[in-house]
Amino acid sequence: MTTADLLLQQTINGLSLGAMYALLALGFTLVYGILELINFSHFNVFMVGSFIGMGVLHAFGISGQNDVMTGFALVGVLLVAFAVTMVGSGLLGVVIERLSLRPLRNVTGPAAMITTIGVSYILFNTVMLTMGADAKNFPNPLPPIKFEIGGAVLRLKEILIWSVSLGLMLALWFFVQRSKLGKAMRATAQDPEAARMMGVEVDRVIMTAFFVGSALAGAGGLIFGLYYNFTSFTIGFNAGLRAFTAAVLGGIGNVPGAMAGGLIIGLIESAAGQSEMIGAQWADVVVFSILVLVLVFRPSGLFGRVAPNKS
Amino acid sequence: MSAAVSALFDRSIAVIPAAWRKPVGLWLLFFAALAFPLIHDDDADIDAVANAAAYATLALGLNIVVGFAGLLDLGYAAFFAIGAYTYGILTAYQVMPPWSGFWEPFAALGLVAQYPGQNGAMLVHFTVSFWLALPLSALVAAFFGVLFGWPTLRLRGDYLAIVTLGFGEIVPIIARNASSVTNGAAGLNGVAAPSLFGTSFGVNATPYYYVAIALVVFLIFVSIRLRDSRIGRAWMAIREDEIAAGAMGVQRTRFKLLAFAVGAGFAGMTGTFYVAKLQTATPEMFGFSVSVMMLVMVVFGGIGSVWGVVLGAVILQLLQSWWLRGVTDWIHQFGELIGNAALQRVDLVQAMELIFGIILVLMMLYRREGLIPAVRRPPALSFEQQSADVRRDVGKLDLPGIGGDTRTGETLLDVRDVTVKFGGLVALNGVNISVPVGGVVAVIGPNGSGKSTLFNVITGLTESASGAINFAGSDITRMPPHEILRRGVARTFQNIRLFGNLSVMENVLIGQHARLKTGPIAAVLRPPATRAEEKAALAWVDQLLTVFGNRLTPRLHQVVSGLSYANRRRTEIARALASRPRILLLDEPTAGMNPAETLELADQIKALNDLGLTILLIEHKLDVVTRLADTVYVLDHGDVIAQGTPAEVRQNEEVLRAYLGRNTQAGVAGRAA
Repeated sequence: MTTADLLLQQTINGLSLGAMYALLALGFTLVYGILELINFSHFNVFMVGSFIGMGVLHAFGISGQNDVMTGFALVGVLLVAFAVTMVGSGLLGVVIERLSLRPLRNVTGPAAMITTIGVSYILFNTVMLTMGADAKNFPNPLPPIKFEIGGAVLRLKEILIWSVSLGLMLALWFFVQRSKLGKAMRATAQDPEAARMMGVEVDRVIMTAFFVGSALAGAGGLIFGLYYNFTSFTIGFNAGLRAFTAAVLGGIGNVPGAMAGGLIIGLIESAAGQSEMIGAQWADVVVFSILVLVLVFRPSGLFGRVAPNKS
Repeated sequence: MSAAVSALFDRSIAVIPAAWRKPVGLWLLFFAALAFPLIHDDDADIDAVANAAAYATLALGLNIVVGFAGLLDLGYAAFFAIGAYTYGILTAYQVMPPWSGFWEPFAALGLVAQYPGQNGAMLVHFTVSFWLALPLSALVAAFFGVLFGWPTLRLRGDYLAIVTLGFGEIVPIIARNASSVTNGAAGLNGVAAPSLFGTSFGVNATPYYYVAIALVVFLIFVSIRLRDSRIGRAWMAIREDEIAAGAMGVQRTRFKLLAFAVGAGFAGMTGTFYVAKLQTATPEMFGFSVSVMMLVMVVFGGIGSVWGVVLGAVILQLLQSWWLRGVTDWIHQFGELIGNAALQRVDLVQAMELIFGIILVLMMLYRREGLIPAVRRPPALSFEQQSADVRRDVGKLDLPGIGGDTRTGETLLDVRDVTVKFGGLVALNGVNISVPVGGVVAVIGPNGSGKSTLFNVITGLTESASGAINFAGSDITRMPPHEILRRGVARTFQNIRLFGNLSVMENVLIGQHARLKTGPIAAVLRPPATRAEEKAALAWVDQLLTVFGNRLTPRLHQVVSGLSYANRRRTEIARALASRPRILLLDEPTAGMNPAETLELADQIKALNDLGLTILLIEHKLDVVTRLADTVYVLDHGDVIAQGTPAEVRQNEEVLRAYLGRNTQAGVAGRAA
């Protein structure tokens, strides 16, 4: 492979990772924008999402790498898999909010954040104890179609990941910008008190943010499985930290910022992992260093932070 | 039955005088801990308790960071790892540079020894004693605490959590990949066991047990001494309200770093102990799950509560090593009895982390203060105390160190051409204000005219775009808030920024922060000078509260968030006075008070001014302004539109227009009516 091919290949890989991180980052940003809360349970909602997706694919009789499908059957299976995964993860997010965070709505201090750590731990260990601690072979219904661009390879799964992520992000964008609930959400992010006085049902807005964010994380989890061909109860931690970094990099609370941040982090990780100088084992250190540098020198991120005005 | 038992218990407790109960209980506990290995000769159980004690020391360290200073650290295990690797590197056989003459003096001190390597070359083997490594690893960990803390402690609390989580992950990654000093994933093996008087501890649990108990006792002592000192109060001030803490003279960055360093030091010591006991150190021992376990112990026992976190750590650790195994066996037997296969497979030890998660959530939802709450709230005032006669007129005040200035006509505080902008909005536009020594100057103006911004820029909370502020002959522009306070400018806030969960006394003590000298070492050792300083500080609180008659004195130990609005305003004024300022900045001191209370406070402010204390006042109530002020400045939209005596300002056309609307005639008519 020439240098140009390598660069192209890294860009393809990085965009796929980035699309996944962006989906996950959106959930952090939606919740932070309204509650100013870092939701650690989001890490493992993503992980649970990938297990739900695996269950749906198993239900269709797909297991391992050889049960490939084509044509409308493939489209249908993928549509159902994404729909069930997203609804399931979304409901999980709503349950988490309703049971563990709403009672703490007016409690100041770190109580809510500590609760989300506890919930995250509960999800993590429940999956480990019920599904087993070994990595799971993720069912793959995609035929091994690939396109060669010079020396670089673009696989069908990458095209799928890009189009699904793009579609979901566009849908979210229209939802936030155009729908009545989306406007209520933006109003609540600006000033929850004023929004409440203008008749916005803040509890419903928060529940929606959790549903939408968790559904996107679930889609991210399914994409993770399809991309890496495995899943495990441990995948939430690293992906979650990268996605959170992406959200901060784009400006936390800022929806397009989270999308851009996700792509940037994906590209950086892909480049760092392949670089001779850095090497894959230091990729985490690179990502954390970016997080620290952004927080210290540009806490509002590249595209501006959006969070409630507190007087 | 149980009532009879508890009655018997109550009666036997009653034999001991109330004041002795706590020390007697603690001594009993201490002797029980000393006697345990003698009574119960089981190596595995002694080891379990030694581990529990080691976790208690970690929890004590995290409690200083999270509980005292309010900094949520999710990567605390990193410092545990640093302490562990410090001792590991200093004794293990994996790190051995080639021998050279450079090492001779160290060999003479017994810190290194020659070790024959392969093909005859001599290597250096570090042989640092455990007892030397213990304080050394505390220092190394504390150094890394400062190193990690320095860039991140300026961050908002929730960001700090995620950054510390990142550091907590990076340290094991480095341990895994920097193989030249850490031997990579295989870890350091053959770490030397400690020895005392030439006898090695070996693998017998009992000596480790006593070292662990000694560490716990030592760190409990340090924690309590720090908590009940100027240092602990500064931490709690930062935890409660960082901005107010700065304005009361607390050097925020320095004290946050100190909390990080002390907490890291505790963890570093424990790391050395833990590795000496296990005689191996691997990167897996220090992951995120250890940091979470520490957090669970602190939350379970009581955030900020010294005895609570020790109890929490011991209970959770023994739960893991003793009780869960027993309960699992019972469940298995029960499953066998009823023929249920699922019950026979349950393994609660495996589910430990799940139990931790459930504990975290349940504690946060139902008992946020933990098993042993950090503060015990004193009972509310009795009916007699509440309805006791309020003594308002205290006559002439006696407050040594406050005031003493005479009206020489010189300028004490001089604000020159100060402009403040928030984005495009000009909050202050070239404002000039001068406050003479010993005078009372009032600033009035409609809401949003820039009055509070003026106070914020004088006290360093807001940065000015241009202009200069001089106080007592020196330029204080852009100084940090704590430095401005130290020079003698103290303030109150319009929306009351007391330290809500602390008592009246603690709030006023924190006000003295800049005038006290106790450092962390003196706080722990409490030499006579520190004791005397603390005693004087308490006496000063009592003296200050007499400014308000007997309004606050019976409420000295009440938590301020439970006080009435007027009493919170009074407490805030007392807190500002505690630093013995030369000028007091009062931001709407009578807001929310009824007419009688307003008059009372106006008299008290007058009495303070009569002592020779200079006062700058923001006030909406014009009768208060007329009563107190020599000079009045009127702000409108960031401009000074008028200045003069209260009488002059009242007649000023522009002031009337600003206050009562554009139509002056209607305004005047409105006033007449």
